[in-house]
Order: sequence, then C-alpha cells, then structure tokens
Amino acid sequence: MTRFQRFPVAPTGLVLFWRAAAIAVAGVIVACALALSGRNPFELAGLVIHSTVGSRFGLEDLALFMTPLVLTGAAVTLTRCIGLWNIGGEGQFYLGAVGAAGVGLYVSGPPILILPLMAVAAMVCGALWILVPALARAWINVNEIITTLLLNFVAGFLVYWLATGPWRDRVTGALVSTGRLPVAIPEMWGAVHYGFPVSLLVVCALAGLLRRTVWGYEVRISGANPGAARYAGIPMRWRIIVVMLISGALAALAGMFEVAGTVHRMQGGMANNFGYLGIVVAVLARGSCMAVIPAALLVAFILDAGIVLQTQQLAATTVLAITGLVLLLIAIADELAHYRPVGGIGQGKASA
Amino acid sequence: MIMLLTGLLSAAVLAGGVLSLAALGEVMAERTGVTDLGVEGLMSMGAATAILTVMFVPNPWVGFLAAMAAGSAGGLLFAFATVIMRANQVLCGLAVTFLGLGFSAAIGHSVAGIPAPVSFAAVKLPLLSDIPVIGPAFFSQNLPVYLIYIILPLGFHVLLFHTRHGLNLRAVGENPAAADAAGISVTAIRFWYVVLGAALAGGAGAYLSLAVIPNWSEGMVAGRGWIAVALVIFAGYRPLNASLAGLIFGLISAVGFLGQARDWPIAAPVLNMSPYLGTLGFIILPVMLWPRLRRLFAAPASLGMPYYREER
Repeated sequence: MTRFQRFPVAPTGLVLFWRAAAIAVAGVIVACALALSGRNPFELAGLVIHSTVGSRFGLEDLALFMTPLVLTGAAVTLTRCIGLWNIGGEGQFYLGAVGAAGVGLYVSGPPILILPLMAVAAMVCGALWILVPALARAWINVNEIITTLLLNFVAGFLVYWLATGPWRDRVTGALVSTGRLPVAIPEMWGAVHYGFPVSLLVVCALAGLLRRTVWGYEVRISGANPGAARYAGIPMRWRIIVVMLISGALAALAGMFEVAGTVHRMQGGMANNFGYLGIVVAVLARGSCMAVIPAALLVAFILDAGIVLQTQQLAATTVLAITGLVLLLIAIADELAHYRPVGGIGQGKASA
Repeated sequence: MIMLLTGLLSAAVLAGGVLSLAALGEVMAERTGVTDLGVEGLMSMGAATAILTVMFVPNPWVGFLAAMAAGSAGGLLFAFATVIMRANQVLCGLAVTFLGLGFSAAIGHSVAGIPAPVSFAAVKLPLLSDIPVIGPAFFSQNLPVYLIYIILPLGFHVLLFHTRHGLNLRAVGENPAAADAAGISVTAIRFWYVVLGAALAGGAGAYLSLAVIPNWSEGMVAGRGWIAVALVIFAGYRPLNASLAGLIFGLISAVGFLGQARDWPIAAPVLNMSPYLGTLGFIILPVMLWPRLRRLFAAPASLGMPYYREER
C-alpha cells in the first residue's frame, strides 16, 4: 500500500520540482486572467521575454532591479537564520536613503571619500531603525513581525516630510523629491552601476560569515534549536540584537545604492516594495545566502515583466497581485516537498 | 471645549470601528492557533468590493455583505493553504496581503476617487443621544457601530469563555493534539474561524470605505490591517479588550485628524506617524512596565504552528 508520509527535511530536488509546478500554475492563472480581460497572453509572453532577457536594455533593468533585491533578500535571510522575520526592510531601505541623501546633499568632498561615508551613514541609520524592535524582541519577547512592520509606515512619512520639507528640490521643483545628488556610484555597463557587483560580494561575505565562523554557527544553532543554544551557553540576546542590526544595515545599504546609483535623488515611494519583495527573495532562497542571488534574479524578472505589462495598460499593482500569487503557491509547494511516498507501514518506519 | 471633545469622540468611534472589527475577527482566528497576516489585503479587498457594489445597488448593507463575501473568499484561499495544506502561515499571510492590495487596486481602478453614492448614515437614538458629549459621540452614530462595539465583542466573549464550543476552540489553539484526542476536529475549527476572521476583515474594509472615508482609493487602508493585527496582541487575545483597543486607537488617529484640521502647533508628519508609533508603544511599554502581563496576556500556545496528526 502506497501512502505519503511527512518527513522533517525536504530534499532540494523535490522542492525544485514542486516550485517549478507552482510557478507553472501561477503562469497559467495569470495567462487565463489576461485572456479573460481580452488580451492575448502569448503575444504578451513574447513581449515580456524580449524586453527582459532578450535585449540589452532588459538585461540592464534586470541587474538594476536585482541590486536592491539581493540586499533586502539577504537582510531577511539573515534574520531567518536565527528564526526571526524582518518585515521592516521597506522602512530600513528608506532610512538608508535618508542617511545616504543627507551625506550626499550636505557633505562635500571627493566621491572616493563621500560614497563610503554615504554607505556608512545609510547602514547606521538602518541599524538604528531596527534597534527598538531588536531590543524588544531580545529582552521582552515582543513579536518582531509587527514592530518592524509598523516602522515602515513611519519611515514612509519621514521620507515624505523630508522630500517635501527641509530637503525638497529647490532647483527643478520636482515633487516629493530632494535635489539631484552631486555624487553618484560610477556606472560599469550601460546603466548598471558598481552597486551591483558590490551587493553580490556582500552576500558572499555574509554566506562566509554564517558558514565559516563560530559566530555564524552560534547564530544558526540559536535559530534551529533555541533550547539547545541556551543550554550550550550561547548569549542568545546578543546574537538576536546583532543579527537584527546587521539585517537593518543590509536593507539600508540597498537604499543607499538606489539613491546614489539608480535614482540619484531621494524620492517619496522610492522603496518600490523592495523591502517586502526581500521577504519573497528570502523565502525562495530557503535560508541559504548564496541562493539569494538566483532568487533575486527571479523576482527581478517578475518586476521587469510587470513594467512590460504596464506599457500594455495594465495597472501597476497587477505585478503585486502576481507576486502574491507566486508566493502563496510556493509556500504550498514547499510544504508538499516534505511528503514522500512510503511503501507499507512497516517500510515507512524503516526508512524514517 | 465641549464641542471639541464631542467631535473628537465621535471621530474616534468611527475610525476605531474599522480597527475593532478587523481585530475582533483576528482574535477569533488566532484563538484557534492561526495567525492571519493577510488582514491588510483582505480589508483592501473589502473596501474596493463595497464601493463597487454600492455603485450598482445603492444600499450600504448590501455593500457591507459583499465586502464580507470578498473577505471570506480571500479567507478560504488562506485557510486552504494554511489549514488544509499546512503551508507556512507568515508567508501565506503576506501573500494574501500582496494579492489583496494588488487585486483591489485592479478591480477598483474604474471607481477610484469617486465619492460613494451611499454611506452608513447616522441614526439618533431617542433620549440617549441627548446626553451631552457621550450622546452625540456614541448614540448618534451609524448602526454598524453597535454591531462592532457591543454585539460582536459580547457575543464573541460569551462564545469563547462561557460555552463548550468556545472551550473546544481555545483547546485547538492551545494544544491541538489534546483537542484532537478529545474528538474535536482541529481542521474544521481552524478552517471556519479563519474564514470568519477574514470575513470580518472584509467587513472592516467596507466600514472604512462606506462610513469613515466614503470613497475608494488605492492604498486607503494605509496599514490599518497591520495595526489591527498588533491590537490583537495588545488586547491579549480577548474580544472585549480588542474592541476597546480599537476605540483607543480610533482616538489617537482622531487627534491626528483634528490636529491637522485645526492647525495645532505639532508638525503634520508627527501627527501622521502617531497611530503607528502609538501602536508600537502600546505593544512594547505595558509588557516592559508590568512583566506579569506577559503570562496573563500570552498568545495561544500553538499560535502559528500547523498541526500534523502523525507527529505527536
């Protein structure tokens, strides 16, 4: 008698199989929805392929979208290693933009000094933004999902206020925007700036930190088995605080790259859901830092496809709905991957 | 001064109604052990559906019911994924939020910014509405107010703490294996209470777009769903506290509105941020100042954990 049994570990092959199925189902649902609204899904698919991976501009856009996604995805992945969620990437991204724009607008000097200073200011701002949720989690066990998320709205208002008030653009009068920054991250390939390779390097360094150091080992143990970690004398509170602060700093670095490399000003709404999409990237990466890179590529592809759909008179938020659909189906797929067929009841016990 | 207080209180009752209704639904879902983080998206769906409905059928109650149906549809999807398929609740909640925000913007595109043709009108209760301050604030409101602040909280309180079914429901949230052994269907209870919570979240969206801000615009929910989820923690997973907490937060946002309308010498961004910072303070400070609260207002023991019968 064949039956399915749940195993605690999901093998990578099965995960990939179910995920491919999930993405295929999402594709079919989206195609049906497009067909129902009177559009030709095959024509649109061709258009999407051409304007993402099929052209130079498309590839540049992919790299530009990937840069912040890799960092916000790494930010969430890092907190997942210790069993927590950082849903506040959006807010930390904004604070990174604030820190970077503040230095860029008001400190003058050679770019070689100003750019690192902007990055440091951004990361400090991002880490400070997550400080209260981190302390509340470590000392009084307050749910970090809610606290990090609520600060996103506060950060949005802060940026809006700065960009319409004290830091507003007095030269061209652009709405909800600061003036153009005098420094920019140099470009390396078309519109792609050096933030792209740097973000990839940051993720590799993070992977090394988690896999090759005692600190990283302790963080992973604290996440996998808090009871054992406490018994082994690992200072959990400090691990939680430091992990959350680094996570905030990573998301903020994404904000700095966006301000200094892509947008060149600080604008209201510039976080563009990158913080929330970082959660999707982290989920796709399943807690592995190196897997953040292909995961960010997939999400960047969805975002890029969304831009194409917008040129076809589809609402900008359609892409948000598509992302939600993909996320839901992948969550189900990941659970399905835990099940494997076992022979009889006796055999099942033998293999488990 | 009396005028100011009256205005403040009636604005608080209105704004708080949205939060109370959504928080009440979330209390019931979380008591069975399921965290539904999709409230923000479900509210958005409800708000858009309500406006679309009243454009065809000019009756706010029809719009309210349609919004509850839309919320339940999202809830069925979420309950299928988390209770039947037992997928990760945090992820599915975020997915429902994304789906709801995106889908509501797409379907509401054609009616964005158009004032609602009908809305919940105020009804003056005889005698009670003549009481100074309290009368206009509490007894000259629209009818859903009584549903939100009196009928549902009391009903849910009695159901949860004074009936056998409520005991079963709480057992499912605390120790599903024990509940299962006692012959209670964990799956059925979790499934239907998640759908109920989602329906109330949809209703809260309708209350927002038909009573508080009578129109639909993209992003109008503006974090109210997340505040409602936070209020459930603040309220210690108790329906009476949840509805009161909604009222308190209604008061905070009413102060914000009034401050901007009357040009108080407080910067507008500070007033805008106050509901979010207030929520943050309210879930951190009480636990910090009174550590016993942590045990008293603790979450159901199995909150967020899927139940596998075979892994006992």
